[in-house]
Amino acid sequence: MNKPGEKRGPLIFIGLMLLVIVVSLAAYGATGNMGIEERFTHAVGLQGERGENEGGGWFGLALEGSPLLYAFMLGILLVACYAVYRNFKV
Amino acid sequence: MAHIHLEDGSFSLFFVLLWWAAAIILVCIAIYLLRSEKKPDRRKITLAAFCTAAAFAIFQVSLPLFGGVHLNLTPLIGILAGPAAGSLVVLIINILSSAIGHGGWGLIGANTLVNIVEVVVGYSCFKLLKSSIPDLFSRAGISTIAGLLCGNLVMILIIVISGVQGVNQSTGQILTGLSIIAAVNMGVAVIEAFITGLIVAYIGKVRPDLLGEGRE
Repeated sequence: MNKPGEKRGPLIFIGLMLLVIVVSLAAYGATGNMGIEERFTHAVGLQGERGENEGGGWFGLALEGSPLLYAFMLGILLVACYAVYRNFKV
Repeated sequence: MAHIHLEDGSFSLFFVLLWWAAAIILVCIAIYLLRSEKKPDRRKITLAAFCTAAAFAIFQVSLPLFGGVHLNLTPLIGILAGPAAGSLVVLIINILSSAIGHGGWGLIGANTLVNIVEVVVGYSCFKLLKSSIPDLFSRAGISTIAGLLCGNLVMILIIVISGVQGVNQSTGQILTGLSIIAAVNMGVAVIEAFITGLIVAYIGKVRPDLLGEGRE
């Protein structure tokens, strides 16, 4: 037997998702295809410049910032995670 | 996924310092709360470390949706690490992001404030809805949407209060433009809510103790 409120959560979540998708598609349609940086500069009235990573990337995915520094910082974070995991034995 | 994508110099020095000061005060409160715990929670520290690495990794990746957007997993950080540790996590992510060229140094304070709101609202909703929505997937998803909506509202508020140097737009025009950005951002929030829901539901199945839920 279903617990009380078991279906309420999924129903609210689906309803919220549909509402948000409709609103965001309408907003996207109003502004057209822009990168996030371009969208911001356009919104606040700065002179438009193309988003730094538009048009490049890997399967459409692009890195913001320096890829070399990204790999370096991520490497440090992963080593730190491993150290914490080993030390605390969770 | 709210993040102020403006360059250094967009805000006047006064507002850069003001948002930095506000962020530092909140981070100090978070540190005080963490230090006041009698025994440090090892699981929470480990989760916070993993959240930092995962959120930093995903935060820099621009997805080919709505012209290019990114996720940041802040409500997930709140749900897993809690609001105090989560506040420190988002500060670290913002500092590291600026260090690699994603976001201005002067905007770290403002962006940290936005992200702390997302962490705290995500965490609070997740806990408050526990009795009314037992299903972890939908509860985490709803909390994520609520957190990101509040983050977007704070982002708009910060920009409108600060004003942007060197532009001739009225406050009304800026508000309209930013509201559209927030609406587009919320489309990505749905994806983030779905991912967060899946992660939380999986953790709830294999390690419910990490969510403080207890096995049912």
